[in-house]
Amino acid sequence: MSEFRPTHRPALGTKQTVSSAALRLSPLPEGTIIHVLAQPGEQDVVSFLGRFTKSPAHAVRPVSPGQWFIVHDEPMPHQEMKSLFATLEPRATGVDQSHGRVRIRIEGKMASRALSKGTAIDLDPSVFPIGQSAVTLIGHIAAHITRVGSEAFEIIVLRGFAESLWDDLARMSLEFS
Amino acid sequence: MASLVPCPNCGRRPKEEFTIKGAALSRPAAGADAADWFDYVYLRDNPRGAYEEYWHHTSGCRRWLVVSRDTQTHEVAACRDAADGSRLEERA
Ligand SMILES: [Zn+2]
Repeated sequence: MSEFRPTHRPALGTKQTVSSAALRLSPLPEGTIIHVLAQPGEQDVVSFLGRFTKSPAHAVRPVSPGQWFIVHDEPMPHQEMKSLFATLEPRATGVDQSHGRVRIRIEGKMASRALSKGTAIDLDPSVFPIGQSAVTLIGHIAAHITRVGSEAFEIIVLRGFAESLWDDLARMSLEFS
Repeated sequence: MASLVPCPNCGRRPKEEFTIKGAALSRPAAGADAADWFDYVYLRDNPRGAYEEYWHHTSGCRRWLVVSRDTQTHEVAACRDAADGSRLEERA
């Protein structure tokens, strides 16, 4: 048997929070990310999902037609997740992505300026208001961006790309620190 | 301009977010002649002008789209989700 023991550690555990008056970049807790995929033709899945995510700590983020992320700062106990998945069926299917994707928060009055260096989407609050989500490229890395506050964004990225994206974001933020 | 593709799900996005599959052709019936299948798999018109292609919004909504563009001017006349509207097979 191998001496090597895999240990679970946060993907961005070794990263220093980037913080200045104008901008702050920080890893979010690796809690819960559930990918929900609706059956074709299902209507009103959002209000259906809303029933399971009443507490403000759970948030539902649109991903693409018929797909959402349910995110939460705390890990969801296995039994709770199992029963959530059971309730979603047959209208939708849930997939645990808690260890597959990582969340990053970027906030401050220069946050949108820094992000705009990497993505083509218009982040102006008039077209990208609080609660709005989009999947797009940040540089060469696909990421899911949500405006979670007037000057705050949450970025969800595949775990294997998290460090690389973090380094890119840190570099994009340099001039504001 | 085909550098910006008007995705019906995501809005205008740069072409870097997409993967182009090629001409959106009508698929022959399952039991069609080998010659029909040969044409479908290998033969392309390569027109100078209007063209319909499958584009995948790989770094966005990850939906297959049908982009109608002009190969000469790069203007995009229409862009729809491949699952919407009349299916290509039925239009043929
Ligand atoms: Zn799209």
